[in-house]
Amino acid sequence: MTTTLSLEAEVARLIVDALHLETAPEEIDPAAPLFGDGLGLDSIDALEIALAVSRRYGFQLRSDDERNHRIFASLRALSAHIEKNRAA
Amino acid sequence: MTTTGAQRLTSRRADEVIFRRGAVPVTTARFLAEVAALAVRLPDEGPVLNFCADRYLALVAFAAALSRGQVTLLSADRSAPRLADIARGHGARYALSDTDAVLPVPVIRPDASPGDAGPNPAIPEDAVAAISFTSGSTGEPQPHAKPWGALVSGARAAAQRFRVTGATSILGTVPAQHMYGFETTVMMPLHGGGAGHAGSVFYPSDIAEALALLPAPRLLVTTPLQMRALLGSQVALPAMAGVISATAPLAAELAGEAEVAWGAPVREIYGATEAGSIASRRTLDGEVWEPYPGMRFEIDSGGARVTVPGLPTPVPLSDRLEWVGEGRFRLQGRLADMVKLAGKRASLAGLTRILTGIDGVEDGVFVAPDDLDVNPRARLAAAVVAPRLDAEAVVAALRSKVEPAFLPRPVVMVPALPRDAVGKVSRAAIAALAWKR
Repeated sequence: MTTTLSLEAEVARLIVDALHLETAPEEIDPAAPLFGDGLGLDSIDALEIALAVSRRYGFQLRSDDERNHRIFASLRALSAHIEKNRAA
Repeated sequence: MTTTGAQRLTSRRADEVIFRRGAVPVTTARFLAEVAALAVRLPDEGPVLNFCADRYLALVAFAAALSRGQVTLLSADRSAPRLADIARGHGARYALSDTDAVLPVPVIRPDASPGDAGPNPAIPEDAVAAISFTSGSTGEPQPHAKPWGALVSGARAAAQRFRVTGATSILGTVPAQHMYGFETTVMMPLHGGGAGHAGSVFYPSDIAEALALLPAPRLLVTTPLQMRALLGSQVALPAMAGVISATAPLAAELAGEAEVAWGAPVREIYGATEAGSIASRRTLDGEVWEPYPGMRFEIDSGGARVTVPGLPTPVPLSDRLEWVGEGRFRLQGRLADMVKLAGKRASLAGLTRILTGIDGVEDGVFVAPDDLDVNPRARLAAAVVAPRLDAEAVVAALRSKVEPAFLPRPVVMVPALPRDAVGKVSRAAIAALAWKR
């Protein structure tokens, strides 16, 4: 699944750029949690990522259901969600 | 003990709608019946930790505990470790929540089941109804007791100030457990007016969809950060009667953009967890704040304090205030050491102590950027002397000790802290290193 891998790298870069993280994009463990113990992101970051995603991929993240925890569970989960929902 | 009066659980008429759960309107009568049904299910002793995500369940859980004479613990930080700290440190006997968390106390899921009619109990004004927590400079949550009388008069003052009528739909984007969210979206429907929105909303599209389903007039209770995201994502919002912002200063530019985009006045609340909401302004009208009715401010060279109706002692404020006549004031800036991010406060000195306590860190200091008070995305920076560690390791070590909002970005690794001619650590030199990009 080369598309997914390259999208993962792209989303990692998007996160690092949007949030001014110390971590290098390639050092983000795609399976580690983005929030809490993993990358240690917080709610400010969640909004920032949502904004960056809507600008780059043309769709809105939402928190209406349990899915949201899964979407932000890891870089891989977020990338998969973007893959499925991106405009065009 | 002084004799004080009592206030009913709610002052709304039985047939008034005080909340909406999706499309289902909840009247005062139905709310009281659901409170009574939950109250009989509760254990005999509190305090109770309430971390319901659904705003209506948070209200029913609070009201049921209150009607049983139990104190509710409210933590804006709903992460499991923080909740566990508070449960242990403040003697919670059980928790009420609609979300999962493993805690050292039993967690009961409240439901809202329509029972028979319930009473509207009278609660003594001096009874502590809730304890809210600030993060505190050392990371240890600091408790602030909220007597029932103070909560009721705050709700009435807010409704009067923002002209909330019985029919106003109130959509909150801040947790019910944050003092601002609690006062404006939980207490206001009980004692001020309006009908709250039950669901929890956070992202721009959530907010837009929820607003569209609510009847006008609509009041949005939010934060500068979410306003910025809403404007940035360009989602369309239905007509609003007003927008209220708090937790961080709102830049006039953002307020102006919002008023143009949404055609509604944008007002800010000034307050603190310790005191609650104490003043407001329309951001575009200028920097002058109008105190809520009944507040008494004392401003002198030692700082500012406010006497709040219902609170036993004056509350010191972490900002410097200046009178500008007619009982109005202006903020001259925060006390240099206190910073506020994501609605949470911390002391730079306290954070620096935590930083220098990390194994391998020889010296270090936290600094705040100049635009901290106007840029909702602003973050703290740290300069660190730790020859054996890199920036990532420093952040990893801090992660377990400070809230995510206060983690430094960037961390600048230096061979020695830059000092000025008299040997004082130079904030300017560190700021130049940190924000050169």
